[in-house]
Amino acid sequence: MKGKVLGIFSVLAALCLCLTLATANPWWNPAQSQFLDLDNIMNLLSRTALYGILGIGVAFVIITSGIDLSIGSMVCLCGVLLTILLKVDYQPQQPLSVTRMTAADRTILVAGSTESLKPGDTVRFTGGVGSGLVLTVESATADRLVVRETLTRDERDGRIVRILPLESFDATSLTATLPATTAEANDQLQLFRRDGSVTGQKITAVAERGTQLQLTLARDPGQKYHSDSFAVVLRRSQRCSIPLAVLIVLITAAGLGLVHGLLITRLRLQPFVVTLCGLLIYRGASRWLTNDNPAGFGELQSILGPVASGRVGLLLKGDKVLFGIPIPFFLMTGLALIAAVVLTRTVWGRYLLALGRNEEAARFSGINTGRVTVMAYVICAVMAAVGGMLFALEYSSISPSSFGNSFELYAIAAAVLGGCSLRGGEGSIPGVVIGTAVMQVLNNMIMLLRIPQSLEYTIIGAVILLGVLGDELVRRAAARRRLKQSIT
Amino acid sequence: MNSAVTPRLEVRDIEKSFPGVRALRKVSLQVFPGEVLSVVGENGAGKSTLMKILAGVHSPDAGLLLVDGQQQQFARVADAMQHGIALIHQELNLADNLNIGANLFLGREPRKFGLIDDQTIRRQAESLLQRIGLKFSPDTLVRDLTVGQQQMVEIAKALSINARVLIMDEPTSSLSAAESARLFEVIRDLRQQGVSIVYISHRLAEVQDLSDRAVVLRDGSTAGSLQRGQITHDNLVRLMVGRDVSRIFSRSPCPPGQTVLEVHKLRTATWPAHEVSFSIKAGEVVGIAGLVGAGRTELLRTLFGIDTPLSGSITAAGRQLQLRSPQDAIAAGIALVPEDRKQQGVVLDMAIRQNIGLASAHRHSHAGFLSFATEQAQSAEMCGRLRVKSPDDQVRVGNLSGGNQQKVVLGKWLALRPSLLLLDEPTRGIDVGAKQEIYQLMDELAQQGLAVLFVSSELEEILGLSDRVLVMHEGRITGQLQRDALSEQAIMHLATGHFAEQVVQ
Repeated sequence: MKGKVLGIFSVLAALCLCLTLATANPWWNPAQSQFLDLDNIMNLLSRTALYGILGIGVAFVIITSGIDLSIGSMVCLCGVLLTILLKVDYQPQQPLSVTRMTAADRTILVAGSTESLKPGDTVRFTGGVGSGLVLTVESATADRLVVRETLTRDERDGRIVRILPLESFDATSLTATLPATTAEANDQLQLFRRDGSVTGQKITAVAERGTQLQLTLARDPGQKYHSDSFAVVLRRSQRCSIPLAVLIVLITAAGLGLVHGLLITRLRLQPFVVTLCGLLIYRGASRWLTNDNPAGFGELQSILGPVASGRVGLLLKGDKVLFGIPIPFFLMTGLALIAAVVLTRTVWGRYLLALGRNEEAARFSGINTGRVTVMAYVICAVMAAVGGMLFALEYSSISPSSFGNSFELYAIAAAVLGGCSLRGGEGSIPGVVIGTAVMQVLNNMIMLLRIPQSLEYTIIGAVILLGVLGDELVRRAAARRRLKQSIT
Repeated sequence: MNSAVTPRLEVRDIEKSFPGVRALRKVSLQVFPGEVLSVVGENGAGKSTLMKILAGVHSPDAGLLLVDGQQQQFARVADAMQHGIALIHQELNLADNLNIGANLFLGREPRKFGLIDDQTIRRQAESLLQRIGLKFSPDTLVRDLTVGQQQMVEIAKALSINARVLIMDEPTSSLSAAESARLFEVIRDLRQQGVSIVYISHRLAEVQDLSDRAVVLRDGSTAGSLQRGQITHDNLVRLMVGRDVSRIFSRSPCPPGQTVLEVHKLRTATWPAHEVSFSIKAGEVVGIAGLVGAGRTELLRTLFGIDTPLSGSITAAGRQLQLRSPQDAIAAGIALVPEDRKQQGVVLDMAIRQNIGLASAHRHSHAGFLSFATEQAQSAEMCGRLRVKSPDDQVRVGNLSGGNQQKVVLGKWLALRPSLLLLDEPTRGIDVGAKQEIYQLMDELAQQGLAVLFVSSELEEILGLSDRVLVMHEGRITGQLQRDALSEQAIMHLATGHFAEQVVQ
């Protein structure tokens, strides 16, 4: 195994050296190499980290002599799930939905009760053609509201929200003063004028002044809203807190991995078939959950994004990071270390290697091979979930029909390059990480050497084939040597 | 045999090695036209390897191969077939989803306009089947035939390539008595027709019955050759074993202790209609004899929790056991040295140390982490106690000889200090020296208070080691024999389905 890791490591080193020389101009001046460009290296590290996490996961499954084809779809599902769980919404308090608005008698019928409104209050109607109307309540009884303003047309459908007159706005401190209402920092203040124009600003601080409320805004909404305008506080709501969302995604993935494992060990279905179905099912589910629309993290991207795209600066120029280790790289290194320890130093790892080489002998030795195998699928799915969340943050907007496509093949290829045998029982975590790096450097080579992008798969395929071929030849030579030794 | 006749097939000074085993050393053999030549020897003596070289499956590392006096080299099976040499494997090689005709001509189908010519196949198949007296239509699916009939199809297939030398590797190992008798008739017919037969078997009675000549192999070398008149059971055994049989086995009986395991009315899925009941005490060595397919392996598998019993009870130390998995059996102090050592006993690609620790790793772990120190100490202890021959315990088990592999399996279990050791064909594929060591070990372990229950197809082993023998036939115990009542005849009598007139308790 050590030989294999050294082998793939020398391939990586040779590739890097060649690329350095090939992209330097003149070739003997590596300082000018495009490959060694700091941004390029950071990018490579980041991609290696993300794909590496997937590779480490699938390595466990490959060691059981199984396969997980669902990784790409799992990545997508977990990314999509995270965006859904972290969806942020801004809603006014107590909106009333309108069932009918009649112009002739200036009446609005609402579903529910109008008791929160009293004569003299202002409301804003949205929906239909008359969207954005600012109206004053003349009387409110049960579900019936009469307004003072003349209505130009009937509406069947829409929504009214109580709005408050903006009492004053201090442009220097960016403070808006409103009659009493509820608001918190991070909520949004929406401002309107009677002419229908509207704007919104984030609230950064809230202070009560007697019966009034002073709201500090993040930015000046514009001079025209400073007076004679109305305001409504849109309360911010987020489906889940960030840790809870991450936990739910990880648990979902673990559950799906468990299902894969149980189908494979208990019902003796083939790993290929089970995870192929997973590939299709999770892809479809992701598209359905998002209505096939691109998904993103909205305002949370700026908070969460750095987890995937942040760099820990090593080389700074003022505030700018010239070179830093991408945060996912630390994450991947940590996970790789844990995985390596689990594989080589725990009983579970030993059992995994044993059953991968010879399931029957392991079972006959009293190893609960089913449980060990199931665990491998759970780990693979959880690693796909971790990778999926990071990829989603890195991409910021993910398209559920293509996000994560064929990632499983990258992961499997990296694991195989790194010394895992699809026959099972063999694999090393450092090997998988180096294998991933080789794939990313190849990818980088295609870009840097302006090799047509269309040849990408061909080149990667050929390199993997050569790698596996070389490994097989070395293995045979070793077997021959062993044979000779055993005779003498 | 007249030395003026050119042998049809001859090998001179053949050598062949596999990882960890020197299978053949300077073996020579001649096969003359129209004779039945038996090749006998214990398991691991090199019979199968020699036959595979004759048939082009393996190429020899050194030595000559001559056909009709001409030197040849067989790179593949097709080369041997071209010279009229066909091997019928121990395990049949038929596609059981196809019919007889298709199997007979598999890979060399007669064609008409590029399509398979079924008519010609049927015509030729019919005449071939007639020649060996098999009354089936060529359209019969192979899976609908019994094992014996399938064997006949294999023979017909060999004849269809005009085989002049037919090599049969233990053809009767899975045949009933009637099927065997039918096979012998066919063999005699073929000899009449001038076909040479190389017959491999360790059923000495058959060899005595059939052969014109017998060659005995021992530990990869030729131990001797016997002409028709000299082929007797005693002569064969002397050549096979190479020393006095009684000296190999050492059983020093000790007074049995407490009952370790009691099996009551156990039924397994293989023979659902029949029950098995017996018990075994600490310090006892109990042999289970019987023909292939008598349900012996299934019994051991059930006792080890691999197969689930249909009904019945297994009691150990007064406690009824629910054996749902090997883990349950191990927890109850039961260990199994399985029949298929390479597939079930060891992980060939792992080192000796890891293999020895495989069953006990979790017992020495700290919070799930392996204890490398304990593993090393344990492995050193077992390698020393069992005299595993290897430069160190980091050697891949696949590189060890069969005997040493078997010691590793034993070491794995002894590390757990079991109270009942089950062994299924413990010396299969092991050379004589290692066999003796395994026998000694079994004896020692019994003296240390282990209950030893072993299955063996080698009567000498059963006779030489057991304090008591259970004989099985078709899933039931047809008789129990105490050591002083043991004889080959008594065992065979029970093994072929005759009940003991009085079961000796």
